[in-house]
Amino acid sequence: MLHLQPPAEAEQAAEAAKEGFNAGELIIEHVSNTSVDDPLIHLPRVFGIDMSVTKHVFMEWVVAAILFFGITWLVRRYLAQERLIPGRAASLLEIALEFVRDSIVAPNLGNKWVRAWTPMLLTLFLFIFTCNLMGVIPLFDVLELLNSTVIHAGPDSWFTHLLHGGVTATGNYNVTAALATIAFFAIIVAGTQAHGFVKHWKNLVPGGLPWPIYIMLIPIEILGMFVRPFALTMRLAANMAGGHIAILALLSLIFVFTSLFERTIAGIGIGMVLSLPIGVGLTALELIVILVQAYVFTLLTAVFIGMAIHAHH
Amino acid sequence: MDIALAYMGAGIGFGLTVIGAGIGIGRLAAAIAEGVARQPSASGQITGAAYLPLFLLEGVAILAEVFGLLIVLLK
Repeated sequence: MLHLQPPAEAEQAAEAAKEGFNAGELIIEHVSNTSVDDPLIHLPRVFGIDMSVTKHVFMEWVVAAILFFGITWLVRRYLAQERLIPGRAASLLEIALEFVRDSIVAPNLGNKWVRAWTPMLLTLFLFIFTCNLMGVIPLFDVLELLNSTVIHAGPDSWFTHLLHGGVTATGNYNVTAALATIAFFAIIVAGTQAHGFVKHWKNLVPGGLPWPIYIMLIPIEILGMFVRPFALTMRLAANMAGGHIAILALLSLIFVFTSLFERTIAGIGIGMVLSLPIGVGLTALELIVILVQAYVFTLLTAVFIGMAIHAHH
Repeated sequence: MDIALAYMGAGIGFGLTVIGAGIGIGRLAAAIAEGVARQPSASGQITGAAYLPLFLLEGVAILAEVFGLLIVLLK
């Protein structure tokens, strides 16, 4: 069971242990993005925005490439068959599609709008799910193993920067804020499509109330319009970063105890008794959280879009 | 002194958040269990209806924790 530990975390912890151990610094370095001064790929500024590629942006690209090429290939192969029988991978994709369509979109948006909004919500679901999953699969640690045994890339080479990959892009609140912005505009577009532009904004507040109530109600509803995407942002980012922090904190205990008692056996003991068993359990829990958070983000977006479409006041 | 107070406030805040979220999720789970026990045939509908408030509750708890973390980080 012990080799199920994510090696990225264990190796980083081992490196840090050599030069005096600081658990907080290690954890923050693992969870946060690469600094702007030292990105993976230097790109010029466009309109005052630094377009350089950091590790989270890089992981987003990797996920987008996997989804784009993987799904295109699957669908093309499926359509090229003479008898339309989905293979194993195509069945998995079908399960995801039917799950999103039948248990997320249809109950919340109604049958009339299913075909209009399923593509966007399915894209959100698959992208968030794959982003979350890439944080647990230690793909880039294979490269790290190659580096330490065969390649020996220098500290400044592009390959060494690449080794910082394999992180959860959705653990960065900037990424989730971008996803929530899509949800924010989707809600407005859905309401406008269903009721027209003016009626959609009128639908935000219930009609037929005495006017003093509107003085209170209108600011609250406008605030609520922004709070909902903000809550989406924070929920996803905090959940994904929090899981990694918890696993790393447990693994750090090994090195904290080693340096505290200045004996290796203390670290090994606490590792065998506490860190590794609970770490394995937390990693299993993380696998559930990955699926649940992708589901929650999609479900809540669908619920908010449904509220904009079915505004009965 | 101020920093110590900020850390203390954040710590107490984290604890209160966990207590609140724990009570909320516990009550929700108890209600689901009771509902399913009374009407086993409707278990799918009952759990489906309970997901949304569960996630909204979790969202509030996580917002509180994020603000607590901001207190610590921004001091």
